[in-house]
Formats: sequence, C-alpha cells, structure tokens
Amino acid sequence: MPDIYTPDLMEVVNVRKQTPDVKSVRIQFQNKARASQFDFRVGQFGIFSAFGSGESTFNICSSSNWKDSLEFCFRKVGRVTEALWRVEEGDTIGFRGPYGNGYPVEKWEGKNLIFLGGGIAMPPIRCAVWYALENREKYGDITIVYGARTVADLVYVDELAEWAKRDRVRVIQCVDPGGQTPDWKGEVGFVPTVFERSKVAAENSVALVIGPPIMIKNTLPVLEKLGMGPDSIYTSLENRMKCGVGKCGRCNAGPVYVCKEGPVFTMEQLQMLPQDY
Amino acid sequence: MSEIISKAGLRELAKEWIAQGKAVAGPVQTKPGLVMYAKLASADEIVWKGFVRPANSVKEFVFPRHELLCTYKMEGNRVELANDEAEIPAQILLAVRPCDAAAFPILDHVFNWDCRDELYNRRRGATTVIALACESHDESCFCTSVGLSPQAERGSDVMLFDLGEEYEVRCLTDKGRALFAGKTQPSERTAPTCMGPDPRFNPEQVKQFVDGQFTSPYWQEATLACLGCGACAYNCPTCHCFDIVDEGNSQHGERVRNWDSCQFAQFTLHASGHNPRPDQGSRQRQRVLHKFSIYPEKFGEILCTGCGNCTRNCPEGQGMLTLLTGIEHA
Amino acid sequence: MSEASQFEPKIVAYVCNWCTYLGADLAGTTRLEYPANVRIIRLPCTGRIDFNLLIKAFEIGADAVLVSGCHPGDCHYTAGNYHARRRWILFRELLDTLGFDLRRIHFTWISAAEGRKWQEAVTRITEETRKLGPYRELYQKNGFQRPNAPPPPKPPAPAKTNAAAQEQQLRETCARLLSEGTVQVVIGYGVGGPVFVRRAEDAAKLVWDAGCQANLTTYLKRKEIKRLGKAAVVVKGCDERGLVILEKESQIDRQTLRVIGMACDGMGQPKCDTCTVHQPRFADEIIGQAADTPPEATHAGALDALMQLSPAERMSFWAHEYERCVKCYACRQVCPLCYCERCIADKNRPVTIDTSATPEGNFAWHITRAFHLAGRCVGCGECTRACPAGIPLGLLNLSLARAAEKHFGYQAGMDPKAEPLIGTYALTDKEEFIR
Repeated sequence: MPDIYTPDLMEVVNVRKQTPDVKSVRIQFQNKARASQFDFRVGQFGIFSAFGSGESTFNICSSSNWKDSLEFCFRKVGRVTEALWRVEEGDTIGFRGPYGNGYPVEKWEGKNLIFLGGGIAMPPIRCAVWYALENREKYGDITIVYGARTVADLVYVDELAEWAKRDRVRVIQCVDPGGQTPDWKGEVGFVPTVFERSKVAAENSVALVIGPPIMIKNTLPVLEKLGMGPDSIYTSLENRMKCGVGKCGRCNAGPVYVCKEGPVFTMEQLQMLPQDY
Repeated sequence: MSEIISKAGLRELAKEWIAQGKAVAGPVQTKPGLVMYAKLASADEIVWKGFVRPANSVKEFVFPRHELLCTYKMEGNRVELANDEAEIPAQILLAVRPCDAAAFPILDHVFNWDCRDELYNRRRGATTVIALACESHDESCFCTSVGLSPQAERGSDVMLFDLGEEYEVRCLTDKGRALFAGKTQPSERTAPTCMGPDPRFNPEQVKQFVDGQFTSPYWQEATLACLGCGACAYNCPTCHCFDIVDEGNSQHGERVRNWDSCQFAQFTLHASGHNPRPDQGSRQRQRVLHKFSIYPEKFGEILCTGCGNCTRNCPEGQGMLTLLTGIEHA
Repeated sequence: MSEASQFEPKIVAYVCNWCTYLGADLAGTTRLEYPANVRIIRLPCTGRIDFNLLIKAFEIGADAVLVSGCHPGDCHYTAGNYHARRRWILFRELLDTLGFDLRRIHFTWISAAEGRKWQEAVTRITEETRKLGPYRELYQKNGFQRPNAPPPPKPPAPAKTNAAAQEQQLRETCARLLSEGTVQVVIGYGVGGPVFVRRAEDAAKLVWDAGCQANLTTYLKRKEIKRLGKAAVVVKGCDERGLVILEKESQIDRQTLRVIGMACDGMGQPKCDTCTVHQPRFADEIIGQAADTPPEATHAGALDALMQLSPAERMSFWAHEYERCVKCYACRQVCPLCYCERCIADKNRPVTIDTSATPEGNFAWHITRAFHLAGRCVGCGECTRACPAGIPLGLLNLSLARAAEKHFGYQAGMDPKAEPLIGTYALTDKEEFIR
C-alpha cells in the first residue's frame, strides 16, 4: 500500500445474497505479492470501498486461517452499501485493513465458547466460529444462539446447519415472535429469552455477544445469572468510522479509539468507558 | 548578544523567498477589521501589527481543508488508482503567532502514532515556521492557561521579536538557521518579555471534571447557545478531525479528505440511526474531552494552544473559554 | 469544411416529458435536422427541475443550458410550469449577481406540436454558443485581482439614551413571565452572548446594549431549546420579521411563543441604514419607542457596486470570496430559517452539493443556501456577521430580496398575510426572458 489511505484493489470472486437486504462478498487481492504477505487476526475489520460512492466499515467475517480470500457481509442501508449491492463477480472494489484489535483467541483457549448474536451480527461471530472449529482441540464446547427478526433475515443458514453437525457444537436458531414460518423448526423468541431457557452451562466459558444495543442489554443479566463475570463477556462495538487508523477523531468512545483499541472489548472494559457509543 | 534584522531587510528576504518559488504565507488584511493567514502573492501584503492574531490558523498548510487521497478511474470492472506524486514546494509560514506554531508538534503525535500519515508529514517537512512573538493579547486569549506564553518557542524554527525598527531573530533549528544565515547582524538589544494573559482556568481541573462528571447536566446547560457549526473547529490550530468522501462519477473521480467537526449533528450518526452524541451538549463535552483528557492521556499534550480563535469566530461568542472557565462553578 | 478544431459546444437541455420532449421527438420523426450538440434530459415537468440541476450541468462541462416545457396553461400537471416560471425569474437574478453568463442559459416553452420550434431553438442556441466559445469563466478568477475591499462598516452605535430603561423593563418582563409560569425559558442577550434564563431571579443576566447584534430567533429551531419548554424570545424589529415567515411555515406556535420586542435605533450594521422596522410590530411585549426617523438609504451600496461590474468580473469577485469558505456552515446554523433537520448539503443520496471546500463545492453550497432562502430571507444579516472568513454572504440574499420586490412587490416578513413567494405563482408573472 503506498499510503495509509489508498486502498488495495480487490477482485470480487463470489457474491451471495443472504437475505433480501444482506449480501456476503468474497474478495481477493489483485496484487498477488500483497496477498501472500497479508495476514490478520480473526475479529479485525476492514474498510471496503465502492469507488465513486465511498468507503464503509465491516468486520472481516472469514477465518484468519483462510489464505485465499477475505469475506465481508453487509446490509444495504445507505449510499455505499447500495453501491456494494450492485457488485458482481469480476468487479473491483477497494480494501483497507486489517484494523482493530481482533478477538483475543489465545485467552479463549481451553474455554467453552458461547456465541450470542442477532441479525446482521452473525458475520463477526461466523469468523470466530470457523476459527475455533479449525483449531478444535484448543477450545471446549461451542454454543451458538443466533436469532433474527424473521426466518428470511437469518444469514449464513447453511453454515449454521453445518456447524450443528460438528463435535461438541450446539446451535440454537430463533426468530422473533411472529417471525416464524409454518415449517420453522427452530426456536421462537428473542435471543436473550431463548438463551436463558436453553439452559446453557456457563462454567469455564467466555461469551461473545454481538447485536443491537437492546439485545446486548437484555443478554447481559442472563450471562451474569449464569455466573459469568464482565471480564469473560466480549462484544464488538460499532462506531461510525472513517480513517480506521486513529486519526480522523470520529470513532472514540471516551479515551478509547474504537478503530485502534477496539472494536472488541470485554464488558469490564466497556463499563469503564463513558456512555459515548 | 542577539541577532537582529531590519524590518526592511526582512521584507526583502520574504521577497527573495517568493521569487525563489517558495510558498510564503503570512497575515494579510482580508477585509477592514479582518486579518487572516493567506498565501502571499507579494511580500507587501503582510500585515505586521495592529491586530492581536489572525482569525484563522496555519494548520491549512500542513493539513489542507481539502486534500486528495487518490484518484480512481474505472473501465468496465477494472479500476486504476493514482496518488498525487507532485513535489510539495518549500513553504515558509511567516509572522505566525506562537500559539499557531505550538500546534505543529502537538499535531505531529496524532498523525504519526502507530502509522504515519505521509500526506501530513510531507507538508510538515517542507514547512519552516517563523513565529512573531506577541506584544498584546485580548480577552479571548488564554495561552498561559495551557502551558504556553506570548514568547513560547514550541514548534517554531525561528522566533522574531519586534524591537521597533528591527526584529530580534532567534534561530531555533537548522531549518531556521538555513533561512537566516548571514542575513542578521549582532546586537546588544533584546526584546522585553511580554506577560500575556493571566491564567483563566486549570487544565487538570478541567480533565478531572470531564472525566468524572461525564453525565453532569453542566454540559447541556452551558452549551445552549452553541449552534453546532464548524467555525470553532475549522479555525482552531489543533483541531484535526476529517471526513473521507469520494467525489466523481461512475467512471472517474477523486477520493478526498475534508475537514470535519465533532460539533456537526451527523458527525457520529450510525447507519442504524443511533447517534451516541445526539445533542449539542454531548458534542461540546466531546470537544473538551478530546482536547483536555484523551489527547493528554494518549500523547501527553493538551490539544489546545489557547489562541482564542474559537471564541472570536463563534457567531454567538461562545468557544472553549466560556465552557472551561464555567467548570469551576459547575 | 470548417477547421479541424472547430469548437463544438455542449448544450444540456432539461425538458418536460409531455411537451418539449414530444416536440423534440416530433422534430425527429418529421426529419427536421438540428445540431447533435444538445443532450436531452427528460423530466416529468419543468416544475420538477431543481435549480441545482442547472448548476450541475455547467459544473460538469456544459457550455449552455436550455430549459423547456409546456406553455403556461398547458402543463400536464396543471401548474408545474407556473411554479417553475416563478423560480426561474428569481434564479436568473441570482445567477446574474453571481456573474454567470446569462447568454448561456435559455428558457423556452415548446409544445408537443412544435417540432419546428425545437429545431429553431436548438439550432439558434448552438450557433450562439459556438460564437461565445467554451464556458471557461465558470467559478474562475478570470485574471482579475482580489477586488478592493468595500468601505468599512460603521462602528456599533453608542447605546441610545433610553437603552438603560429598556434593559430594566426587559428584566422585569422576563422575571414576570417566568414567575407567572407563562414561559419556562427566556432567550435573550447576555454579557458574553445569548442567555437562556430559566429562573426569575436570573433576569439580571439580560442586557440590552449596542452589542445585541445576534438574531435570537434562530434558537427556536434548536431541539436543545425546544425541550426546555415554552419560550419567550427577545427580538429587534429586524429579527421579528423572521417570525412572520416561521409562523407561515408552521415552525413556531405563536400562541405559546412569547415575543419580547425591543425598539432599536440601529446597531451600526449596514442593514440598519435601510431598516424600516425599528419599532417591533407583532411582539407580545413591546419595550421602548424607536425614534421615527426614515431610513438613511433606500438601497445597499455594496450590491450596487457589485452590479456595476461585468459578469466575468462579478464571477471573479465571488471566486475570490468563496476561496476562503471552509464549509463551516456557520451561515446555515445561524440562520433562523435554515431549520431543516437534515440539510440538503448533508445528504449523500444523491450528492447534490459537494461537501469539499472547492470552487464547485462552495459555489454550489452558497447558491443553494441563497435560493432556498429566496422569498424567505428577511435580511437580518446574521450570515454575513457569522462568517469567520468575512465573505459578504448576505449580498446574494439581498439580490434575491431586491428581485422579489422588483418582480413581485414582495418583501419577506413584512405582511403576515402575504402568501409565500416561491410556493405560489401568478398567471401574470412576467416572462420576457422565456421564448
């Protein structure tokens, strides 16, 4: 990269429509030398460009073990994501990254992993799940509770089904009340409620909770009731970003630059931050 | 013993620099009653006295209000990116105030921590700062409250002191010496010290308040008059928040960065509609937090030089000073 | 065979779908030849044409712009072209003040049956533009130097003899309104700037002197102020004019808003020379009595001086001024009538105005701001006062205000019963510039 603001050019190798307004896109570096020296920590994010429309920040939702491509997943909500929505295989987009601190996967070794996510929060969980499955012996039981508003809003459903077949992995899918279809076989209810009644054991566990603020707010008490301390509950913060490298002054939550010292935080760390996010 | 140069001699030097193709900037009379820093077409344009300080800052010369990051060209599904490889011409900032010069080493931190912003660094490297010590101040100045003074040397390559018919010239760096070598004469005279304003507040007290009283109603109460424009941030020597946008069409265009201000309502607006700073009070609090808490914690310096531009440019006479001095009584 | 480098002008034509577009179509089907220099952009109706489209065409390289639609009375949507016509009358004046080359902007009515008229119009415009050459002066300094500064403004007037008495009465009024519970906040002038008095015992914070320049009605749009409760606002006669517009546009509830009007003999601003409202007219509480002196001038010298220059010189004047604009939006934030929750400048779908502080971005912003205030701006001068770069922003607004008076006998904020200028039209709106 010639400088910190000029993106790498990436070729789009695959586009998958996950829901009526969510797509996942896989990209490869056009510059093969750059591809071979590129590495990232699972949980880091990138800033993706649709040239002419702008840049947008998304988690890199592929496992850091996959060397041939990167993946990101987005909902169509604005100018840049509408432009990204129109992208097809063979097109060129931009990528800057990897940014952020990523998941402390070393700290999680030997622990049981609980993943709780809602809606468009599945992609940042997905990369962690694949990473854990690829290093299976390092981690204990894996529980995934994932919900969306309706059945049609669930993303990566094929992978969820695949994970459920894996050793010591329990996958619970749910939809909001009223979001189920007649043939829906999963749970019905909000993620915190479903999680509570699923009676997941929480000894020796860490939890990664990602979703809308209301979901996180209601999930925390459930985790605390299970005896999990705030230093074992993780989340990935969203904040409006631009530069991604701690210069433009936009993403800070109190003294912390989310693009540099985050976006992954423990609840303990979050509780020390002012309500600025 | 000091070195001096006659005022006419300095003007001649400035003419030489311009003739050499260097970009020279200094205070000019934009309108009656309004002095602003601007690039000089001729050395005669400089205004040397009769005002406290220009209404804007010189950060423009290392951190432009609009800067090209890269150009893009699209053909089919191919994209070509290009950067601006043009040489940055040598630039000399002449007769800047000490509160402007001090901003440069302060800004160096954020543009170079962890990863280096070469756009900033290139311009910074091409810049020589010649400061002119202050002889007066007004009620908006508060450099002495943030560790500076009318003769502060921070960030300057050369300091000038008005002796009447001459300037005392103190070269502080090699860059400064390179400009004035052989152009000054020795003298016994030296400039008297100017005291500057009395300290108006205690930065440590400010930091404690903004850290400890984050949810205090003071922030909303004390900022009712703020209209949320960018006049303060854009004229501030140390404010550096920026926006990145693409401008162009579906075939070619530019990715640029522009100044931005944490006071704008949409500064932290998420695509979901959530805004962590939904009112002016929380945005003003952020300004104080950034300048007096975050920056000192991260980089050991206050992100403010006490120049007072925020207050002078505010359409409603607000600015940092009102907010900061009010903390004592909050 | 003309020389190889003959200039081919680029003409952009904004036409309405139901008349002119069909007229152009008819020209084609009846094999009437016309130059291929024109690029036709079809819109449902001329009433839909945003003036920003005209500016955009020039920005991206058009040498001339043609706007054409149904004849008055024949609009497919009944009145779209009447609205458009009124806008065009004012917009041309704005473009003239900015120094646009008006020979490059054309308006016509061409019906679906007038294929020949389309042919004639396009042929004529192409040839005229070919003679004018490429439009190189747009947003450029055109070789003119930074213009001479206009005469310095008068210093603020010393406080008049009854200012102290007014101040006393103001404080008493404020204390009364608060203790009665009529209002929860009084927005007034304080020593360092505006104050928001919530308790009767703080009424002494209010002042009334030569420093009371600001237009405090701008705070009525701020949600931080709205949530304080029912408000009283201190106004001068000039500020009060804005309330007339705000009420017309349903932005204030005149029943709950208390207006405290201060008689004012002038604050030393250029606007004071032409002021006819030294005495507030509609306030609930009127404090003081202004001297009954006629205005010192009937027009503003700065605008006249500007209009003496040639269009290219005027464009240069504005290019020099806007070079200093940093897009701080102080002008927007300080204006009581710029109350949109999300300004068009902050929208990015589509990007109508570049956010960058470039000539294109700055001209587009100031043109938009001025035109969105056409018929609404009451000339309080706050935009000019607020600009940290000393740009005479109010001159654009003033030129539109003069155009409104000249063409429609309209003065914003004077008559509470007057219909909004841009929102209405008259069948008699003059159209000598439309062919």
